[in-house]
Amino acid sequence: MIWPASLLLLAGGALGAFLLRRSWLRRDGSALGMIAGGWVVLLGLLLAAAFLVGPVKGLALGLVMEGIGALAVVWLGRVRRKAARLREMEAAPEPLDEPGRLWRGVLRTLLAGPLGMTAAMAVAFCVTVYLPGDPRTRIVIGGLLMPVLWGLAMTWTLADRRILRATAVLVATSVVGFGLAHLGASA
Amino acid sequence: MSNTRKKQWRWPLSPETVRSVLSSHSILGLAFAAVIYLVCVTGTVAVFAPDLERWEVPATPVARSLSDAAAARAIAEGAQHAPADTALYLALPTPAKEGASLVAFSPAFERKWAVAEDGSLSDLEAGWTDFLIHLHVNLHLPRSWGEFIVGLTGVALLSSLVSGILAHPRVLRDAFHLRLGGSRRLQEADLHNRLGIWALPFHFTLALTGALLGLSTIIVAVLALLLYPEGGMKKVYELFLDAPPPVDTRAVPMPDIAALIAQARARAPQAAPQNVMVERAGRADMRVTVLSGRAKLLVQQDETRFDAAGKVVADEHPEDFVPGTRVLGGIGQVHFGWYGGLAVRLAYGLLGIALCVVTSSGVTIWLARRRDRGRPAPQWERIWAAVCWGQPVVLCLTALLARFAPEASLPAAWLAFTVLSILASALAKTVPGPRLARAWRWALTALLAILAFIHGAAALPQGGAVLIDAVLLAGSAGLLASLLRGRTRTAA
Repeated sequence: MIWPASLLLLAGGALGAFLLRRSWLRRDGSALGMIAGGWVVLLGLLLAAAFLVGPVKGLALGLVMEGIGALAVVWLGRVRRKAARLREMEAAPEPLDEPGRLWRGVLRTLLAGPLGMTAAMAVAFCVTVYLPGDPRTRIVIGGLLMPVLWGLAMTWTLADRRILRATAVLVATSVVGFGLAHLGASA
Repeated sequence: MSNTRKKQWRWPLSPETVRSVLSSHSILGLAFAAVIYLVCVTGTVAVFAPDLERWEVPATPVARSLSDAAAARAIAEGAQHAPADTALYLALPTPAKEGASLVAFSPAFERKWAVAEDGSLSDLEAGWTDFLIHLHVNLHLPRSWGEFIVGLTGVALLSSLVSGILAHPRVLRDAFHLRLGGSRRLQEADLHNRLGIWALPFHFTLALTGALLGLSTIIVAVLALLLYPEGGMKKVYELFLDAPPPVDTRAVPMPDIAALIAQARARAPQAAPQNVMVERAGRADMRVTVLSGRAKLLVQQDETRFDAAGKVVADEHPEDFVPGTRVLGGIGQVHFGWYGGLAVRLAYGLLGIALCVVTSSGVTIWLARRRDRGRPAPQWERIWAAVCWGQPVVLCLTALLARFAPEASLPAAWLAFTVLSILASALAKTVPGPRLARAWRWALTALLAILAFIHGAAALPQGGAVLIDAVLLAGSAGLLASLLRGRTRTAA
């Protein structure tokens, strides 16, 4: 079952990406049918895999195989060029250059690391404590939320130039979150 | 034409915010690049752990099926070769996993055997595979610390994926661009972005599950403090694990395991027995658990437990498991791709390589940008070449060492090779980074071929599987072709 399903999803991923690429080549958004067709193939096959292979197994298999199919289309559409300097229109946005100061670096590391983790835990455990339902499910939801929230906190604190604002928000979130979680757990 | 698209849809972040987020993406990527890359490379190879075990021990029998009587024989034989308080874990052949194996484990003892179709055991001690998995899971550091660092790496990868998307306003405009051979920076950026975007669901899932697996100890510790200040972590674990029966060390005969498996099968006719676990074999407090799986479910959700007398003490089916327990059981399966057999392992291998390329190209873009701005960092170029191409070379060297000196400490050898390769590359000031990278690639090409020939020559006469050897040879041939193509272009 897995082999035929994998091959079908691989082909479907390639077909969906091929249709999307055809519309992308026109560059004016005029091929709405192809855009819709591409997404219908990609999402429809995901649903079919979830139904036929298994709700989680099929979805996981679909995301993996369709990704490879789509990447195959990208690879087949590659262009090879002669060595040239980067043209202005091709240049991607540049990262913001900030004057490096040691204290800012240390503070940012603390914010993105330990403080971000504490704030993420505080929010995730609030969810664990206050969410209705079986404690095992609540613990797993909280556990899954924690790395996501920490990752978001990392992105934000490293991007936000107002470093004191980020510090205040993370400290407040940690104190309030853990306080509320403790109250809820003791109740 | 692109103006039309601009009018239709605008990136929700201002250009300045995009640049800030890109700066955060850069800082995080550079800070964690080497660890993320190491975890990705080892994870990509670890997906093939079942194949690697057989590659290392080529004479291993691969049972296509195992009768209940043969399963009982395997467990009885395993119990004779393990201390009394050891748990025995028999994995039966399934569509997702070829072959049967038996593991005996306790905090002080661990041994693994391959099980033949008649239930006889043969040693399956695959030292290099074990080394590789531990390098991926905890970097061979003390378990809690190592897992925490790997979990933190997972969070950094998650954060990099999020910031990478937010900082990519041309996600639609460049959706299918892959421009090779022009500006180095543009080529690497196209590779980085296309692989990052089209494989995003896979990479996100991998980073999230990896982060959760790595951080589970600290999450449970803090949760225990909050929820059960008196019971501690044990109380949290008890929610997910069944409490063992009261201790009773009297010796008792083993129950008829074949009959217990048949009974479990009868209780869950839609499922097939996949694992049999015997805890404290031969003691009055023994517990036998038969875990069965259904074709459409990711993890086993039919579980029948018996006591020492063979009496059913618990019988659970999918409807008895809460969503949290099901999700927890599936996290490892989804992370390692061990749920769908070879097809899924190959797919995970390919997308794992894609994640390695995304990580590596991120650093290359930064180095190329510095060079374009007239601030090259030749030492970092050499060091990155030593990490990017040197780590696969070091892993090949440890595999050769495991083959010819099985008693050698592989973690120590890996550390020594890694430190030496990075130091040597940093100090080789006369060699430019790209040339050093090519030298590492030549070394990798040769080592992959040598490994394949050495193992293949030993495996073929014994009728062993040569899948891994074929993959190694294909990798070597691919690298050789790219090196020769590169040389031709340079000459032209």
